[in-house]
Amino acid sequence: MIAPSHAPVVETEDLILRGYREEDFEAFAGFGASERAKFVGGPQDRWGSWRSFMAGIGHWTLRGYGMWMVEHRATGKVAGRVGMIFNDGWDEPELGWHIYDGFEGKGYAYQATIAARRYSARHFGLDRVISYIDPENTRSVALAERLDASFERAGEVLGHPCQVWRHPSAEAQ
Amino acid sequence: MSLTLNIPRLETDRLILRGPDARDFEPIANFYADESRSWGFGGPMRRDEAWRWLATSIGHWALHGYGFFTMELKDSGTACGLTGLWNPEGWPEPELGWVVFEGFEGKGLAREGAERARLWAYTDLGLETLTSNIKPGNHRSVALAERMGARFERSYENVHLGEDHLYRHPAPADLGLNSDNDGSPEAYA
Repeated sequence: MIAPSHAPVVETEDLILRGYREEDFEAFAGFGASERAKFVGGPQDRWGSWRSFMAGIGHWTLRGYGMWMVEHRATGKVAGRVGMIFNDGWDEPELGWHIYDGFEGKGYAYQATIAARRYSARHFGLDRVISYIDPENTRSVALAERLDASFERAGEVLGHPCQVWRHPSAEAQ
Repeated sequence: MSLTLNIPRLETDRLILRGPDARDFEPIANFYADESRSWGFGGPMRRDEAWRWLATSIGHWALHGYGFFTMELKDSGTACGLTGLWNPEGWPEPELGWVVFEGFEGKGLAREGAERARLWAYTDLGLETLTSNIKPGNHRSVALAERMGARFERSYENVHLGEDHLYRHPAPADLGLNSDNDGSPEAYA
């Protein structure tokens, strides 16, 4: 049996959104272990990151969509992850973004998220999606605003309180 | 190259061993909800944790080239358990595991599936040894491991599960499997 497990390639000016490679793991685990992962269920140890990495791949098989690895075109380095998350326990599919150390403040999160949002609307039928955001994560709140998303309600995911932001339609963009 | 899935489909007299997919979520969630059945297999788990476990087990195939098969009854297509190889980061070495879902025990299905998976590991993957990690007190699993010829080797500290007992399976040659000229073991025809 051969099942499609990897993400389609989506290119932007500076970034390549693509499927997972084994060599991506070190950057992935580095982010998972960092204090910055506290807004996305972390920090977690290397073993926990290995399981999350595998789950990120399996998500594509179970749902037909998921989070892409974001490769920085100029250096070939992994700059983060972006895409759709719909784990069991989520209210609906969520657009998420994780930017790794050294790649913040350059507009990459915006560039990657716009591309993922548009692709997901066109190809996965996921439009006007939500993002769960911890209100203390001021950088993510600022990005959501820049993406023209709007605060919808206070919610929770797996028992963690967070805000639900709603994105505008990306079909026509 | 991005990672892809290439999961074989294996057969025994009564079982199909196939790659895990979304159909398996309900039986796996039910299995993990039941502590008395799942405590030796990383459980119990909430439903959302079981979903993540299923996604993880699919990703395991992509990263390692092996993982857990879903065991399906040939005659009804019903998923009746899991068997295969597990070796996430932090594990001592690849292990052969098995579970049978509620209502399917006592029929020899775990042994039938696990022996097929072991044969596949030795003949198709070319592994030269295999272990099974069994939580102390999981007497059913110990009994099956011993019926399959595995023997207790040592106790170790599992990164997720705490104290764990490592059983060593017979090597390919002990099972009458031979190495051919290119070095990979092959079953006697």
